[in-house]
Amino acid sequence: MFDISLWDIVRNLLLAARWTVLLSLVAFICGGIAGLAVLFARVSAFPWLRRAMGWYIELFQGTPLLMQLFLCFFGLSLVGIELSPWEAAALSLTLFASAFLGEIWRGCVEAVPKGQWEASSALAMGYFQQMRYVVLPQAMRLAVAPTVGFSVQLIKGTAVTSIIGFIELTKAGTMITNATFRPFTVYGLVAVFYFCLCYPLSLLARRLERKLHAAR
Amino acid sequence: MKKGLLRFAAVAALSLAAFSTGAARAADMALDAITKAGVLKVAVPQDFPPFGSVGADMQPKGYDIDMAGLIAEKLGVKVELVPVTSANRIPYLTTGKVDLIISSLGKNPDREKVIDFSDAYAPFYNGVFGPADIAVKDAAGLSGKTIGVTRGAIEDIELTKIAPADATLKRYEDNNGTISAFMSGQVDLIATGNVVAAAIIAMNPPKKPEPKFLIKNSPCYVGLNKDEPKLLAKVNEIIAAAKKDGSLAKISNTWLGIDLPADL
Amino acid sequence: MAYQFDFGSLWEYRGVIADGVGLTIRLTAVGTVAGVGLGIAGAFARTSRSPALKAAVGAYVEFIRNTPFLIQLFFIFFGLPVLGVKLSEWQAASLAMVVNLAAYSTEIIRAGIQAVPKGQIEAAEALAMSRLQIFRHVILGPAMRKVWPALSSQIVIVMLGSSVCSQIAAEELTYAANFIQSRNFRAFEVYFVSTGLYLILAVGLRALLKLVGWSLFRRRRHV
Repeated sequence: MFDISLWDIVRNLLLAARWTVLLSLVAFICGGIAGLAVLFARVSAFPWLRRAMGWYIELFQGTPLLMQLFLCFFGLSLVGIELSPWEAAALSLTLFASAFLGEIWRGCVEAVPKGQWEASSALAMGYFQQMRYVVLPQAMRLAVAPTVGFSVQLIKGTAVTSIIGFIELTKAGTMITNATFRPFTVYGLVAVFYFCLCYPLSLLARRLERKLHAAR
Repeated sequence: MKKGLLRFAAVAALSLAAFSTGAARAADMALDAITKAGVLKVAVPQDFPPFGSVGADMQPKGYDIDMAGLIAEKLGVKVELVPVTSANRIPYLTTGKVDLIISSLGKNPDREKVIDFSDAYAPFYNGVFGPADIAVKDAAGLSGKTIGVTRGAIEDIELTKIAPADATLKRYEDNNGTISAFMSGQVDLIATGNVVAAAIIAMNPPKKPEPKFLIKNSPCYVGLNKDEPKLLAKVNEIIAAAKKDGSLAKISNTWLGIDLPADL
Repeated sequence: MAYQFDFGSLWEYRGVIADGVGLTIRLTAVGTVAGVGLGIAGAFARTSRSPALKAAVGAYVEFIRNTPFLIQLFFIFFGLPVLGVKLSEWQAASLAMVVNLAAYSTEIIRAGIQAVPKGQIEAAEALAMSRLQIFRHVILGPAMRKVWPALSSQIVIVMLGSSVCSQIAAEELTYAANFIQSRNFRAFEVYFVSTGLYLILAVGLRALLKLVGWSLFRRRRHV
């Protein structure tokens, strides 16, 4: 029916990889913004807020991404919110990323010595001032490496969105497999594509981490 | 305490009842809503040639896509194709993500409880298919064999009932999975539609799914949400007209290579 | 949308759900034991003096860590039969989990090894212990104790990741959920319940691993 050459396979995978990249970017940026909110709630002065956020994080770190996707996709529409596969994928990856990033960043904020908080509060700084001028600048230095590291997990996570019918790299792979009957080649190529996306980020994360350790 | 709970339950039940009658009254509005929006959202298959698949250019095409276009054209609206899998097409409709399912959908009592069906628009039968060297003539012959099937499809439901106890059914998310499993030898046979098997053979694969036996004759219907009589009548009217003026026969010839059977 | 929730209709499928939970647990158990075992071997290989062995293990670790589990699974299940290696979905799912966790635990344990003080290793060398003896008696214990929390989180992640094994028809919890959904069309109820079950599994597994870590690596006091 179709005559598909190796070049056709690569070209179509490349086209589909754009969606993987775009989805990863959207989830990373939106997840980062939401993650900041999670972080602030997690280190806030209100115990109830801290506890609620603890549950939020537990929920997203303690259940499979695939289930979160299914619930976003089929569950939300029952309460009247209509989502396309693309929107459902972006939303659930954003929530997923916010839980992980919030928790990673909390660790970094808590790594800032207690004395710094005390010193800045002695200078009559308010909570947000303390965060803005004293704690976050130091925490951010610590946070860069694990944040880049998490972006790799996020890119790999986008593969799961193929299951709700979003056509990205993995979905394109399964579709092309059935047009060509060459699963070994196609899935091998798909894996190489993901590797090319993720490996540079992994390397960067490791280099940043080494630099940080050397600086201390 | 108990009294309060009871009262709460009563109020909840009342408001729920009000809610559902409100929804039911709003229900027959679908046709007007579609005309007003100028867009008909249709769930179509993307992994089910020749009903719906994507070519090298990644554009959907097939019997169901043409059918969706035909209905939208007669309604005087634009068509928006929503690719679905066999497993998720009914949730797509019941949760209002699409207006119609045109996705080689067969009829069964379980589904009729949840959604409504139009008149048939395409011929279809399900069967068990496999390579020439496996001799199977009926369900009993499946004993000891592994059969791949797409989860939730008619052939899944039917085969689950008639297959002998020592036959193994492997259920995959969509036809992509089922076809891959057959091609890689993970299953001996597949249960699927006549047209799917024909389409696979047309691609000249290393392993050919030849017909073994018929499970069920189940022509395709358009699926609609319940309580939409106006939309249902309109769709049936369009199908009847298309059967009469030959436009449905043209679609059938393009994709299945056959004329419409007289009994459809 | 007049949708009425009906969790009761799940009751007749309790057997399917229980079987699914059972397979998820079995997959996790196999993946954990074999994956961590191979991870220890991998970490040992990375301390070797042979550059070829080090590079080979390093490449394996990087390739697995930088590709999605779902693709690894598809490759093993659909791709390997081309080479004549045909695995059942249970074997393919187990293998994918072992291969995946082995790569992560190699990396995690390696980091723990680096934290073992040099002086202890030199002292052991002075006692004429072999490389394997040093690894087994001097390095492994403190390294494992140090990285056990990180390793535990990774095991939980792999357990949750097993949900995609449903895609090759391995009949674990997500497969059970999908199966029920295709029969009673109660998508929300089914996914809600199975998400809850995963959460319970994750919390339980974390507690179990804590217990295991406590009994295996608790600091032994000198008598």
